[in-house]
Amino acid sequence: MDLRSALRRRLVNRPATLLVCLPGATRLRLEAAAELRYRGWPSASGPADADLLLVCAGPGGTGGEWLENVRGAMPWPAARTILHASGQAARALDEGARKVAAEAGTVPAATEARPGTGDGPPMAGRGDDRDGLRLDQLHLPLGPALPDWPAGLILRLTLQGDLVQEAHPECVDAGTHPHIPFWDEPWLRAARGEMVPRGAAARRRCAAHLDSVGRLLAVTGWDGPAARARRIRDGLLASPAGGGAVPGDELRRLVNRLERSRTLRRMTEGLGELPARRARALGVSGPALVADGDTYDRLCVWLHEIRRSHRALAAPGLLEPGDTGGPRGTVGDGILPPSRALLGALPELLAGRTFDAARTVLAGLDPDIDQLLAAPAQSAGAADA
Amino acid sequence: MPESTPLWGTLLLPLVLAGAAAAVAGADAVLSASARQGPAGSPRTAASRAALPLREGLRLLVQQPRRTTAADRALGRTGIALVPLAAVLAGAVLPWGFRAVIDPSVGIVWFNAMEALAWASVWLTGWGPNSALSLIGGYRFLALGLAYELPHMFALTTAALGAESLRVGDVVAAQQSLWFVVWMPAAFAVYLLSAMAMAFWGPFGGPLGGDAAGGAAAELTGVDRLVFLGGRWMLLVVTAAASVPLFLGGGHGPVLPGWAWTLLKTAAVLALLLWARRAFPLLRTERWMSRSWMVLVPLTLVQALVAAAVVLGS
Repeated sequence: MDLRSALRRRLVNRPATLLVCLPGATRLRLEAAAELRYRGWPSASGPADADLLLVCAGPGGTGGEWLENVRGAMPWPAARTILHASGQAARALDEGARKVAAEAGTVPAATEARPGTGDGPPMAGRGDDRDGLRLDQLHLPLGPALPDWPAGLILRLTLQGDLVQEAHPECVDAGTHPHIPFWDEPWLRAARGEMVPRGAAARRRCAAHLDSVGRLLAVTGWDGPAARARRIRDGLLASPAGGGAVPGDELRRLVNRLERSRTLRRMTEGLGELPARRARALGVSGPALVADGDTYDRLCVWLHEIRRSHRALAAPGLLEPGDTGGPRGTVGDGILPPSRALLGALPELLAGRTFDAARTVLAGLDPDIDQLLAAPAQSAGAADA
Repeated sequence: MPESTPLWGTLLLPLVLAGAAAAVAGADAVLSASARQGPAGSPRTAASRAALPLREGLRLLVQQPRRTTAADRALGRTGIALVPLAAVLAGAVLPWGFRAVIDPSVGIVWFNAMEALAWASVWLTGWGPNSALSLIGGYRFLALGLAYELPHMFALTTAALGAESLRVGDVVAAQQSLWFVVWMPAAFAVYLLSAMAMAFWGPFGGPLGGDAAGGAAAELTGVDRLVFLGGRWMLLVVTAAASVPLFLGGGHGPVLPGWAWTLLKTAAVLALLLWARRAFPLLRTERWMSRSWMVLVPLTLVQALVAAAVVLGS
């Protein structure tokens, strides 16, 4: 038995990791993802595939019953690690690997049937479908722990087969707490009177759009460019504010390739049509408003913004207090968060779509739940994402 | 040229396929890792990346499988086991050099029929765990099958037409002077597309797509997962290797012996497929179903007509 446990321990040296991010923990997610990528640990596509559950928890809390279900759905040997603070990613991963190895050395508990999606699957009801037939309906919550999914978003779907009949977005109950959403930090700080260099704001915008593009590409199933976009994003965020190694050539090659790809265009066009007039009525601002069209148009706007902000990385001067255009739209105290408007647009954009089209539309909008849960900070010093 | 194969040849086939599957998976892992982490700095890093599928396989062997509520174990397990079985049975008619494990007079029909096992298997695997995302993955494969099956069958028929026989050995023999790919290129291109679709891999990997948390494989753990995913790689190797006797002249070629040419040609086809996976995003069936029926089916029919005219004329 010693040989087998030793073998087990060696085999879980590089555990497959499922990365779950709670609202308010974007910086931790980015650090953890960069560390995982650097170590080359495989990333799991779901709980069934995972050895280690890495939870990035901000000050808001440590998740609820859904997180326990995810942990319960992971097969033996498995372990969970929580990342609380910035700069601890490497230590948390080491600790996680140790825990998995320790699990592997013990005898597994007796197996019991574990629920796939919750305790006691409900019977499918019936409802009208788009052709007027009465077909089975399934109420499926798409949870916060899906890979390439906005952190903290729950989407309650009514499915018939793989057609989405209705979609209702909700947020994970994490409470509001003083924090500044990571992606909007430069503009919010400038609005409160701090001195923020333009280059830093451009860097944050470029990284935000690369993150969104990476997520859209991963959902669309193009893993190579998705991985490249994420690698460039990590490179941008890791560089010191004053300069450092910024991968200009690689970024230009990636953006060129994405813009020229006719297959990507064909796979994303016609999905999630949001005309500018309707967008304005919903309160949408930023790239989704400028795009005035479907998912492909929004992708093009993101790519254009990536190019523009990359050129502005070396721009001199400071951000004006009136410059409030964040990556997802206009931000500021007292202004409707752009992501709330995006979530409001979801039900009409997703109704009647197939499952994969719905996921593509959502990835093309990429709402940021951090914006919805951030309470106004008491002072700039207290708010630290 | 039917020669009887010794018994050890029959037993060797699954092992050879498994080894080839591991090799192709390793090459794929190296390419994925170079996109994710940057190019490999040293041969040792590249070798370590290439060994990732083997490590994953061993990890899955150690993992304890878990069950979902009200899972249909019997059908789910049948579906999982059918994937490598379909690969081995379909690969039995493919010649290594000039000798195959079996060479029936209807070899091409046998090859196509074994693919039907793969059709059943993916749907059953998606059905088994009683999970919504799994079932979505299973249904995606049925839609994919509806899109690719007709062009696939017409491409196979064209190869059989060129040799005026359904026996794979005769198809190889008919290419002694000129490979079929030269005068039926459309059939070859369509066959390569359908090879990826038949193994639900690469641009046609929707049934196991990441957007559905792994699709039909979403709830598979432990040995089940290893058998299913490993079986999918074996199926890819078999479908890619089938293009060699059907279109690329089998073992024919100067200087080198037949088995070496088979190996080289199969490796070239697999390299082409690995490139195709990187070059295109996932092709969603609802977007390319019309293209498949309105473009590929007439194309393969016209190609078959041309092939028939050539055969009748000569």
